[in-house]
Amino acid sequence: MAPISFTDAIERVVAGNRVYAQQTAEQDPNFFKTLATGQAPEILWIGCADSRIPETTICNCMPGELFVHRNIANTVHGNDLNAASVVEYAVAHLKVKKVVVCGHTKCGGANAALGDADLGETLNTWLHPVRELRRKHKIELEELPDDDARSARVAELNVHQSIEVLKQHPAIKKAIHDRGLSLHGMIYDIGAGHLKLLEEAGGKKSNGLWSADH
Amino acid sequence: MAVPSEQVIKYLQQSHDRIFENNRAWAEEHRKKNPEFFTKLSAGQEPDYLWIGCSDSRIPAEAITGLGPGEMFIHRNIANLVCNTDLNVMSVVNYAVRHLKVKHIVVCGHYGCGGVKAAMTPKDMGLLNPWLRNIRDVYRLHEAELDQITDEEKRYDRLVELNVVEQCRNILKTAAVQQSYAKNDFPIVHGWVFGFQDGLLKDLKINFEEMLKGIQKIYDLSAE
Ligand SMILES: [Zn+2]
Ligand SMILES: [Zn+2]
Repeated sequence: MAPISFTDAIERVVAGNRVYAQQTAEQDPNFFKTLATGQAPEILWIGCADSRIPETTICNCMPGELFVHRNIANTVHGNDLNAASVVEYAVAHLKVKKVVVCGHTKCGGANAALGDADLGETLNTWLHPVRELRRKHKIELEELPDDDARSARVAELNVHQSIEVLKQHPAIKKAIHDRGLSLHGMIYDIGAGHLKLLEEAGGKKSNGLWSADH
Repeated sequence: MAVPSEQVIKYLQQSHDRIFENNRAWAEEHRKKNPEFFTKLSAGQEPDYLWIGCSDSRIPAEAITGLGPGEMFIHRNIANLVCNTDLNVMSVVNYAVRHLKVKHIVVCGHYGCGGVKAAMTPKDMGLLNPWLRNIRDVYRLHEAELDQITDEEKRYDRLVELNVVEQCRNILKTAAVQQSYAKNDFPIVHGWVFGFQDGLLKDLKINFEEMLKGIQKIYDLSAE
């Protein structure tokens, strides 16, 4: 695709927004009025910043359904105040019922973690835990046929790791205990456009989304 | 332990299954319209925009701007803050500017922001205190102007706008943006606010060049 000129790129978004506002209001004249009264999302979505995974679009959800945090490689660090604040607000205040961590195939972050290229101090530091996964699962990863498969596996392992970190968040611990909040790992396959649920070890198949103690 | 009742479980299961059903339908529709759609996306991303917005569920960035998959790199957090000590957002800005070479960075706030309201509530918010303190700092920076607005709603609205402007300023403080701009004349930083009343984006029309010059008097990191 030829690069669009500077002002065109912004005009395009502004025009796109006008069309969105007009069409939405035509379909439901009360839509924005209702939206303005507040939000009660059921799901907190933690996904990658990657431009190819617009969460609300790929899930065909409406505005108001997914509370969203997106960062490089959908990584949750134990000491990251940014994600921890999103989780606190979503779980303790909005009382979402589910937390989804969604990784994806062809993830730049997972790819970078497979190699040792210097990405600069900032990104090296951020991706350190993902690179650690490569070391921890060296043998398993080496047995995979190619880099695409390795990167997809690292993305999965990273989702599991993020979920493990989330389980230690005080608001999540409390909500799991008090009201059955559930955590779900997913992978989005960019080449197919499909979401896949990761079965957690010990999870019951009959109600697949639920952790073992339900 | 309060175990959710069968009914609650069933309800939650349905809402969850719906996401997968929706996703299949969405993918099928796009494949029908354009068989190459996902193959092309699979090759890589070249977004022109980085969007830094609020986590609020009512503002799906791509949907409200009419942009498709592959066009906008996204970071969303509580009250669309850009803190220069936050490795999370700094990694996003760094990757978007240095690796993806985005042309535009949009910081988008929204009127009626719960994060901004929470920050102005005289109450201990626990884990949220340090994050929300950044918004209190924005208030302090603009105390004289904000104190003069007597209508509470209007004062919040203005704080939402000023918060966006301050976060744009924080983006300009990064070495990645200063060095890329010196070399390539991009990215350009924009400050916008989304209004629920009409679904429209308002451009705060920040003067990018002037703001950058102002910042670099003290925060000049353009020399590599
Ligand atoms: Zn990714
Ligand atoms: Zn908000």
